[in-house]
This record gives sequence, structure tokens and C-alpha cells, in this order.
Amino acid sequence: MMRSPGFSPVSALLWENWRLTRREGAQRFAQGIIVAGAVLAWSAAFGAIGTNTARWAFFLVGMTYVPLWVSVAKLNGGRFMDGYRPGYPFYFLYTRPVPTFVLVGAPIAYLVASAVAGYVASALVLRAAFGYPFPLLSVAACIAAFHIAQWAAQWGTSNKVVQWLGSMPAGLGIMALAFWRFREWPARFDFLIGDYALLTLIGVASFGLTVAGVARQRRGDARAFNPRTTTRDGFSDWLAGLVRFPCPTTSATRAQVWFDLRSSGLLVLAIGAALAMLLPLLFAVSGPIAAVRPYAIGVSAFAWPAALLFLPGNAFGIRRRQGHAFASTFEATLPRKTAPLAGVKVLVRTACVVAALIVVGLSAWASLSLVSGWMSAAQKMAIGPAFWELPSSQRGALVGPEAHGVLLLQHTIQQTFGALAGSQLVALAIVIAIGVAVLVALRAAHAALRARYPRRLNIATWMLLVHGLVLVLLALAVRRGIASALALDTILRGTKWTVAAGTVFATVYLFWSLLRERLLPPRQAGVALLASAAFGAAWFTLLGAGGLHIASMPAIDAAWMLSPALLPLTACVLAPWSLSRIRHT
Amino acid sequence: MEQIVDINNLSRSFGSNTALDGVSFRATAGQVYGLVGANGAGKTTLLKHVLGLLRATSGSVRVFGLDPVRDPVGALSRVGYLSEERELPEWMRVDELMRYTQAFHPTWDASYARELLESFELDSSKKIKELSKGMRAQAALIAAVAHRPELLILDEPSSGLDAMVRRDILDAIVRTVADDGRTVIFSSHLLDEVERMSDHVTLMHHGRVTVSGRLDDVRGGYQRSRVWFGQHFDQPPVLDTALAIEGGGRSWSVVHTGSLEQFHHAVLALGGEVVESRDATLEEIFLARAGRSRQQVEAA
Repeated sequence: MMRSPGFSPVSALLWENWRLTRREGAQRFAQGIIVAGAVLAWSAAFGAIGTNTARWAFFLVGMTYVPLWVSVAKLNGGRFMDGYRPGYPFYFLYTRPVPTFVLVGAPIAYLVASAVAGYVASALVLRAAFGYPFPLLSVAACIAAFHIAQWAAQWGTSNKVVQWLGSMPAGLGIMALAFWRFREWPARFDFLIGDYALLTLIGVASFGLTVAGVARQRRGDARAFNPRTTTRDGFSDWLAGLVRFPCPTTSATRAQVWFDLRSSGLLVLAIGAALAMLLPLLFAVSGPIAAVRPYAIGVSAFAWPAALLFLPGNAFGIRRRQGHAFASTFEATLPRKTAPLAGVKVLVRTACVVAALIVVGLSAWASLSLVSGWMSAAQKMAIGPAFWELPSSQRGALVGPEAHGVLLLQHTIQQTFGALAGSQLVALAIVIAIGVAVLVALRAAHAALRARYPRRLNIATWMLLVHGLVLVLLALAVRRGIASALALDTILRGTKWTVAAGTVFATVYLFWSLLRERLLPPRQAGVALLASAAFGAAWFTLLGAGGLHIASMPAIDAAWMLSPALLPLTACVLAPWSLSRIRHT
Repeated sequence: MEQIVDINNLSRSFGSNTALDGVSFRATAGQVYGLVGANGAGKTTLLKHVLGLLRATSGSVRVFGLDPVRDPVGALSRVGYLSEERELPEWMRVDELMRYTQAFHPTWDASYARELLESFELDSSKKIKELSKGMRAQAALIAAVAHRPELLILDEPSSGLDAMVRRDILDAIVRTVADDGRTVIFSSHLLDEVERMSDHVTLMHHGRVTVSGRLDDVRGGYQRSRVWFGQHFDQPPVLDTALAIEGGGRSWSVVHTGSLEQFHHAVLALGGEVVESRDATLEEIFLARAGRSRQQVEAA
């Protein structure tokens, strides 16, 4: 058991902050090095590290220490946009005989120091490993100023609007300064004395504002941070209250659909709708304002993958409170079998994610046509059937590089979908829809298993990460002629077949386990098999459309290519099994 | 009588901490069972096994003859549960909570639910998160009893309720359920509440059942006697059937089991006499069994 040191109030405050953020600090440190290192190693495996790759790596390691990922929300008792309560989070310290500037200064000093130390250590490791001169002092100053400015907005007020609006100018200003100086890196990345003076000014002013704001909260002149007593709150609750429709009482399944729609599905749909509205807006603005164009391209390119990545998470609604993850007792004690419960949750979330993806996709597609606003009449005239026969550089010179990027994306999508026959389009739709369901089920199962078996899952995750890193480093070594290509090939093949065999074994074991525990009703088992068969057939069709002829492949390669068809079955058994493990612990 | 809950030799550990150690417990229809124990005694863990929230890793749990983990629908459709934390979806309104719970219970009695809502003066258009702790408990209680469950499980039902609500509403509901021939199991550390409401009492301590039986039998099996000795004792005198001894010098107060006659003989053998004897209260039995009497604490 950890004991608080009893030296002084400041030591106690620092200890408290260390206890709250130590795991996250270690995670960010490892994440920064691994992600940036993987990018650099991967690039090095295929030749010398390019400037753009190095910039990406620098960007990734720098962004790891942006305070948004820090425990802003955690310190304030919730998750970002979900139960997030602005205001000074250590309200229980108000009764301690310590001046307010110490109450504010100690946590800020700790958080700033830990972020700066994390960045500097990561940069030094990457410098030593890859020889790139990751800047130290200038970025450390940016991170420190950024953190202090963020805490001023987060802690100085308990007004969410002021907080949101207040956190933007300083944060964006510091990021803009860093990006501006960053243009010439790695050739040059120097801060002028004026830059350091500006950062110092932002830091001092922000600290003063935070102390003043917290003092007001402490005296009772401003609304103090409201300690979180409930498990959920925030934007999703507000949304659930905004869109009301009566809960059906005629069947448990319908009521469950209503529950999952209201509790999380609406949020997914709202995020999809917001993204869909943002895209045309960005393109419309980028017509007259050319500076917005890169953002319009970036957002439209990443909106769909980002929605696919983030929206399917935690369909089982696993909750977290004070570091403890658990399933809702309220839901767990309802008379409902686990497999149908898991099925409804996964299907409702899948329907919402697919709807959001369709809306975002359609919006992105429609927005791309607004690219004509970026071009002059002459440039528009140049786009004809002969345009695509010109070399890429010539096309870029004709319409401008940004417009060319968008036109190329549009053209590629048109060509890809235009080449598909009707049956292949149906197959693609089936693969996407079932693929999303698989993703939702696997993410939900992961959240449940992480709550039930956190240590085992953490070990497995770290082993996978280390394995991936070893593969990347080995690829780098092979590229430089230090290691044998045969060794890499053997490990890759071994990995491939271990994954395939593991998936088959896990699926068979879980299927048997569910049947033995009478968790999977025969009807649901039949639906799982049918979904897998449909996915397999669609997958096979798409492989054919992609020019891969399974029949002419060696049996082992053909089996590997068809192995994704097993994933729906794996997901169908893993989801109820994992929910059962957290419902009946 | 119909066996509602049948738990045999149930053990459960969380890491190195043994929460339940060979617990056996039976409940029959139409009775109110009170589970008593200090914090961490294993009451909630036992109730979670009855609800199927915890798997029986050793021993067996049957509710209406069913395994609540393997057949949650069969078991839970006949059970009403009020959790200690009153965990309800915060975003729901009270009327939505009622409709949602109704969908899972074909036996839902809408008029009974309405009647309870009115008697609790709950505003059904309010969100759960807007309710006070007591109102939240009342909403959870309605959701737990409105389908007229055959088994009502209440985990620390008094927590957060004021004295009036506790006595007038909770007692009335529990008695109504029992008088209808249904069963109530509730855990509490308020011993007066258990004495008032229960037909049976089970004392738990460190994951074990130390005392279990009909309340009258339990109380009848323990006496509290005041004894006076001719000689001065610096340490508590050794009496075979004594569970806890308080006092000093010549005058001692003893909670003991066995027959009164046997106790008289034991005291006489040490040169003393029993001045006064009465049935022990549940609190005295609990403190003696849990090793919390003043003398035992001092001795420890």
C-alpha cells in the first residue's frame, strides 16, 4: 500500500498528483517513443528517413504531451465531454491551511514538469536511436506554456463556455507559433528571445488568472467545482434529454433497443451529423479563404476513418469510476439472456455507426464537388477527359496542387466504384456493414475484458506492441543488411499463422464454451453462422474484383486470404462471452 | 414450504481476500430474512451470488431451483432488487424508468406502481439525476417491487432514507410482500431494523455465517446475565458458555449460550451468583459473535 509522505503540504500535494497521473505519464512516455520510433523505423527500413517522415514523428511525439490528453477530464472527475466538470478539481484542499497560490502552483508545477520531462526524455531517446535533432528547449517551453494556459481555463472557472472559449486562444496561439517555427525543421528550429518572452508572458498571466479564479471559488464568490456523484453526465445526457421518444413496453428487445439508442446511439448519430455539416462548411469557406483548404482536405480525408475508429467503442456501456471499470448493475439484473443482450447492443451501435458513416461519406462526396470554387474559369475549362491523361505534375500545375489533390481523390473514387459490377457493390456493402458490426463487437468485447481481466489484457497488449516493434526494428536491420531476410520472413510467416491458428482456436473454444454454458441460443448461433457465410461470400467476391483468384493460389495462401471470413463468427461468440464475464464476475 | 433460495457451501475469494467461506443459506416462501454483519462481512457478496452477478466458484447457488448465472431470465424475472448504490441510468426520467422496467416484466402492476409513485410524491417527469438520494431510493424501490416479485432482495435498503420513510414505507412494503406469501431478503447493519422486520436472521462475520435461524430462536438461544462474584477478578473469569464478558472486579455482565441452569452452575463453581438474566438483544448477540464487545476489544 502506498503511503503519503508526511513532510509538508507541498510534498503531499505533489504526491497526490503523482498518484493520480503516474500511470498515464508512463503510458504517454511509452506511447510517444513507440509511435514516433515506429514511424521513423518503418521509414528507415525503406531507405533514408525523409524530412516529412521526421516531421511526422516529431509531430506525434510533441502531440503526445498536449494537455488535452492529460488528465484534465480525469482530474475533474469524468471523461472529456462526458461528465466533465470544469473548475479546480482538488476542492477538498480548500480546508487545508495552505495559500491558494500553493494549492494551484504545486499541481501545475508537477503537471508541467512531468510533461516537459516526458517530452525531453522521449526526444533524447529518439535523438540517440535515429540521429534526428529533435528540439528540446523550444518545445519544452511551448509545452509548459500550453499546459499553464490550459489549466487557467480549466481550473480558473467553472463556467463551461468561458472554459471552452478561453482554452482556445492561448492554445491555438502557442500551437500556431510552434508550427510557424517548425516549417524549417530539421534544418532550423530556433525560437527568438521574443518567442520565449511571449511564452513566459502567457505562462505568468495564465498562472495569475488561475490563482485568482481558484481563490474566488475557494471564498465562495464563484461557483466551485461540483464533485461528481453520478456515473454519467454531460453532452450525451443532454442529447438524450433533447430527443425523447417513448420507451416501448411491449417487448424487452424493443425496450433494450430504445435504451441503447437513447444512452449511446444518439450520440453516435449526432457526431456523424456534426461531421457531415462541418465538411461542406469547410469547403464553402475554403473557396474565398485559401488558407482553410489544407484543413478542408485533411478533415474530409480523415473524417470517415476517424468516425470508423472512434464511434464503435464501448457498445456494452462499461463504466469507470475512480479507476474501477464495471458493468451497470441495473442492466445486469434485468431478466435478459446475455447473448441477446449483447446482440442488441452490438446491432444498435452498428446501425448508428453505419448511418453516421453513410452521412459522413455522402457529405464528404458532396463537399468534394465544391472544389470548383477553388479554381478560376480557365482552370475549370482545363478539366476534361484529356485532363487525366496528363502527367500528375502537369495536372497540378494546371489547377493548383490543392485542387488537384481533391480532384484526384474524386476521380479515384469514381474509377473504383465505376469499375465494380452490381453484385460487387452489394458485396462491398455487405463487407462494410458486417465489418463495422465485427469492429463494434470486438471493441465492446475488448472493453469488457479490459474491465474484467485488466492485468492479463495489459500484458497481452504490451506483448503485441513489443512484437510489432521487434518486427519494425528487424525490418530496419534487414534493410541495412545487418539481419537476414530469411529470419524476418520466417517470423512474419510464423506471426501470420499464429494469429490465424489463434483465431480459429479461440473461436472454436468460445463456441464450445457458450454452448456448454447454454449462453448462446441455437437461433443466435444460426444467425452467427449465416452472417459469417454472407461475409465470406462477399469477401470472396471482393477478392475476385481485386484481381485475386483464390482457385489458382496455393492452398495455404488461399486459406490465409479467406481467413477474415472467420472474424464475424469470432465476434459473434466473443461478444456474448465477454459480456457474460463482466455481468457474472 | 417452497424453497426459494438454496445456497450450499459457497466460498468466494477476491485475490487473497476471502469474501465468503463455506456459506450455506436457505430461504423459504413468505418469510423475511435479515442479513446482518459489519462492513466487509460478505452480505453484499452473498446477495450478488443470489442475483447471479457473481459466479459461484465453489459451492452452489439455486434460486427457484435455477442457477441464476446460467438462467438469468428464469431467476431474475421472479426477483426484485434494490441495490445499495441505487444505480439507475442518470439520463432517464422516472416515467421512462417505469416503462423500461415494465418491458422486462410481464407481471408489472401499473396501478401499484402509480400508487407507490403517488404515495412517495415522486415527480415522474424528473430525471433520475435530479432526484435526491432518498427519492432515488424510492424510485429504485418502485422499479424493484412493481412487478410483484416472488423474491425481493434489498441491499442496505435504509441507506439514504430518513427515519420516516424507513419506518412507514419500507417496513410497509416489506411486510406487504411477505404477507402476500412472497420472500424478502435484506441486508442491513441497523440491528433494530432487522429485529423489527425479520422473521429470520443470519449473522455474518468475516465471510462466515456465525448465527442463523428464526429471530425468536436466535434471541432465545442467547442470554445476557449480570453476575456477582465473592472474589475480585483482575481478568475476566473463564466461563464455558460465555461469548463476551464486560465489567471488572466482582461485577460482570456476560452474553452466553446454552441453558441458564448450566450457566448458573458454572458461575457457582467460581464462587459467584447470577443476579439477573434476560434474552440478549440482537445487537448484543452480534457484538458478541463479531468479537466487538468492549472486553474482547480490550483483550485484543
